[in-house]
Amino acid sequence: MKSQTAKTLNLAGAAITILTVLIAVLWAFPIYWGIVSSIKFEDEVVRPYVELWPENPTVQHYWFALTETEIGSWYINSIVTALGVTVLTVSTSLFAGYAISQLRFPGRTMLYWLILASFMVPTQTLIISHFVLIANMGLLNTWAGIILPQLIHPVIIIVYKQFFDQVPKDFREAAAMDNASEFRILFKIYIPMNWGVTTALSIVTFIWAWNAFLWPFLAVTSTNMMTITVGITQVNDAFGVYYARQLASAVLAGFPVAVAYLLFQRKVTQAITLSAGIKG
Amino acid sequence: MTEISLNNVSKSFGAVNVIDEISLDVHSGEFIVFLGPSGSGKSTLLRMIAGLESIDDGTLTIGGQRCEHLSPGQRNVAMVFQNYALYPHMSVRENMEFGLKNIHIPNDEIDRRVQKAARILEMDTLLDRRPSELSGGQRQRVAIGRAIVKEPAAFLFDEPLSNLDAALRVRTRVELAELHQRMKSTMIYVTHDQTEAMTLADRIVVLNDCKIQQIGSPMEVYLRPATRFVAGFVGSPAMNFIKGELSGSGANQVVVLGDGSKVAISIGLSSGRYELGIRPEAVTVSKQPADAVASAAVVEHLGDRTLIYAKLKDGTAITAQDGGQSRVIPGDEIHLAFDTTQIHLFDDGGNGYHAANNST
Repeated sequence: MKSQTAKTLNLAGAAITILTVLIAVLWAFPIYWGIVSSIKFEDEVVRPYVELWPENPTVQHYWFALTETEIGSWYINSIVTALGVTVLTVSTSLFAGYAISQLRFPGRTMLYWLILASFMVPTQTLIISHFVLIANMGLLNTWAGIILPQLIHPVIIIVYKQFFDQVPKDFREAAAMDNASEFRILFKIYIPMNWGVTTALSIVTFIWAWNAFLWPFLAVTSTNMMTITVGITQVNDAFGVYYARQLASAVLAGFPVAVAYLLFQRKVTQAITLSAGIKG
Repeated sequence: MTEISLNNVSKSFGAVNVIDEISLDVHSGEFIVFLGPSGSGKSTLLRMIAGLESIDDGTLTIGGQRCEHLSPGQRNVAMVFQNYALYPHMSVRENMEFGLKNIHIPNDEIDRRVQKAARILEMDTLLDRRPSELSGGQRQRVAIGRAIVKEPAAFLFDEPLSNLDAALRVRTRVELAELHQRMKSTMIYVTHDQTEAMTLADRIVVLNDCKIQQIGSPMEVYLRPATRFVAGFVGSPAMNFIKGELSGSGANQVVVLGDGSKVAISIGLSSGRYELGIRPEAVTVSKQPADAVASAAVVEHLGDRTLIYAKLKDGTAITAQDGGQSRVIPGDEIHLAFDTTQIHLFDDGGNGYHAANNST
């Protein structure tokens, strides 16, 4: 009886493993295809049949992207704007989350509901007003113009609020007895006690900001101010689309994020889990 | 000299009144214990002194300064929390330094105070450890150390021993008593444990139903309880309560109990119905016929003494005490002698009156 149960469990486990591997392969195939295509010659890429490995691997497209485009500027723009978005979003959300969680002020509940309600508004619906606003402020084709509209991330405020809610009130009271100001309580007690969530949210915000395309695509028209996600649209020329070259640029664009993910894998997974139940 | 003075302070949470016009003076260097059951308002009262709860009405003075509108940190008191509330990401030293750094005490002075507190509490070797690396008793000491370094006008303890196991609780209780004797500081201590209250306090403030029931020395509270609540709450096993009728006058008064037993008493009260209260140690087993007869139900041998849970003829439960070598067994009929100097009578309002020879 017991061995029968064990056998059933083993079979179920094997089936789940095979299914998981199949899904993983299905999910990873486009990445593999992209990387393989980026080391093929253009004529090989457009052949009407599937070739899983290039006949003559080449790095000429990578060489082109690195030497013939403004990828250096695009990297710098991406790093500056993604870091800017990360630092500003996390720090403002930190304050907002702390205020909503710990301070008592008129309109606190209303503010919290407003933040929750803002999930209902898709970013795309705001994009025209953002564009008009940023244009009127004269910030198109600037780092500030790219950064400012991307600072709205209610999910981070909510995650912080939830974490701060969970800190036992004894710590706050002990700090109050210790004559600590609100800033000291936040910076010396609440943030250090929640370093994990701050790190996780910073990484995930950086990845969101790095991968952002729609807004930077609208906010920037001059090539040297483009972020890398926008810049890779510029690797074509008047004679048409170069798939291999485009994919090589895309691999270069995704490379830092992939490295960041590999380095901070556990934190990223934690951040995604944290925001999974909330993110609209 | 009065260190802390509460004058008609009140507090309610919404419609629920939790502290009702309480007045109390705590003298400098005094160890005061707030004793009461859960929900009696003792912790709320302590938190009102600390500034962690607002005072709706009345005044609070600490060290001669009106404090009800000051923030907790400005009141010059330090608090030891029930769960210690040590900052988990800071070392013991950093925990103790935090409050001093907030008020910009010079570093060498901070260092001096931390070293001094560590010496007093014998925790010099723990200073660089995190709270998670300490035992319950050590954490308790750190929490006290964090309060000591502030050199406050008064220490406030909110059930600080409740998280410790029985043996450690006894040891820490003795250490606290020693600490108080050494430091001569004003201390206010909240507990529901009467043993802690009796052993630590200079004065006990017994609270119930948002009000102070009695303020007095431990023996005063034990021997001359002001109300029926105090009489029943303080003392283990609890005081016996027996309904009776008082008659006679002067030194020749008698209380007739429900089973017809007559107990002579000198109390100077007018005749009428009262509840007679007497502690188990004042009810002893007698070989000869005495004040009452009861049937033993349960016998507990405690070594030095024996507790006998018995029933009078009318079914009233009574606890009596016998010697450690008692031969009483359940089912025995026993004669009970009352120490009439230890008798209390309680009227319908719960007010206590004590036999003429009862004294502290």
